[in-house]
Amino acid sequence: MYNLELKNLIQEIKKRNPKQVLIQLPDGLKNQSNQIVDFIEENTNTKAFIWFGSCFGACDLPLGLDILKIDLIVQWGHNKFNKEEW
Amino acid sequence: MTQIIFIDAKWLGKIQLTKELENFLKKRRIKSIALFASVQFTDLNNFIKQIEKIGIKVNTTKAKRTNEKIQILGCDCYEDSFNKDIIQDSDLILYIGDGLFHPKALLLSQINKKDFKSVIVFNPSSKKITELDKEVIEKQIQKIKRNLKLFINAKNIGILVTIKPGQQYFSAAKKLKEKLEENGKKAYIFIDDIINLNQLENYPFVKAWVNTACPRIGTDDILNIEQPIINIREALNPIKALEELE
Repeated sequence: MYNLELKNLIQEIKKRNPKQVLIQLPDGLKNQSNQIVDFIEENTNTKAFIWFGSCFGACDLPLGLDILKIDLIVQWGHNKFNKEEW
Repeated sequence: MTQIIFIDAKWLGKIQLTKELENFLKKRRIKSIALFASVQFTDLNNFIKQIEKIGIKVNTTKAKRTNEKIQILGCDCYEDSFNKDIIQDSDLILYIGDGLFHPKALLLSQINKKDFKSVIVFNPSSKKITELDKEVIEKQIQKIKRNLKLFINAKNIGILVTIKPGQQYFSAAKKLKEKLEENGKKAYIFIDDIINLNQLENYPFVKAWVNTACPRIGTDDILNIEQPIINIREALNPIKALEELE
């Protein structure tokens, strides 16, 4: 069992007040994505969507979400990534 | 602009030194360990105290790309991935986590070293102990050598670039293309999101590939394909990379 920090997330969503949020989960947590969406939508006025594809790490964030007017991405299973520059 | 939040998803159980792990370390007469974990398992203060109590020194460092001490990523697979070379200063590497992808990075990071240290994987959930030694990556080492040789002799090179923000090295790819073409090769840059290696067969004019995305493509995924791929780090000086492996 892993700590998904959903109560903290609700507080953070209320603070930032996004209209639309995308949740991105590694494969091992994808089966909980429906519960996370339900929890967000029941506790905030934010609409929540699920990233269907890969979640290899913090290096792997979906692009082009501005087009869909997604205000916030929440990725589980990773933390801030310091990209190595070449 | 889309904002981002990361949630570690820490494991909810207690990470404890088991009698089995203690006996394992004592039997090997381990005096010091290099400790690493995936981000779900980095709350290790209590575990470290337990290890120190049995007379074992615990060495820790921060991998350069991570945000936390002890944490390791799959891409930390080079000797210089860490702030401090604690592997050299330790009898053994202990990895805390529930998979093999991350600890294999610790094996790969020692690929050029003569004094190779095994990685002991301790799964705090199942309490299982697994030892990974150099043999685990032997096939990969052979394939990397073979790919380097094919790259050195290839005329037409394909350079793979991902648009994933954390893995995107478009500028480095363009610099590499220039360098290769100065040395008489012809290079083409290919761009995609996920690097799907099934696409390689559509470009038969490419005789060897350079991966600029996740380095594990050039160390692990190569086992599943015939076409030679090397990582950009090796492509910058393939002869030196080959010499270091021989």
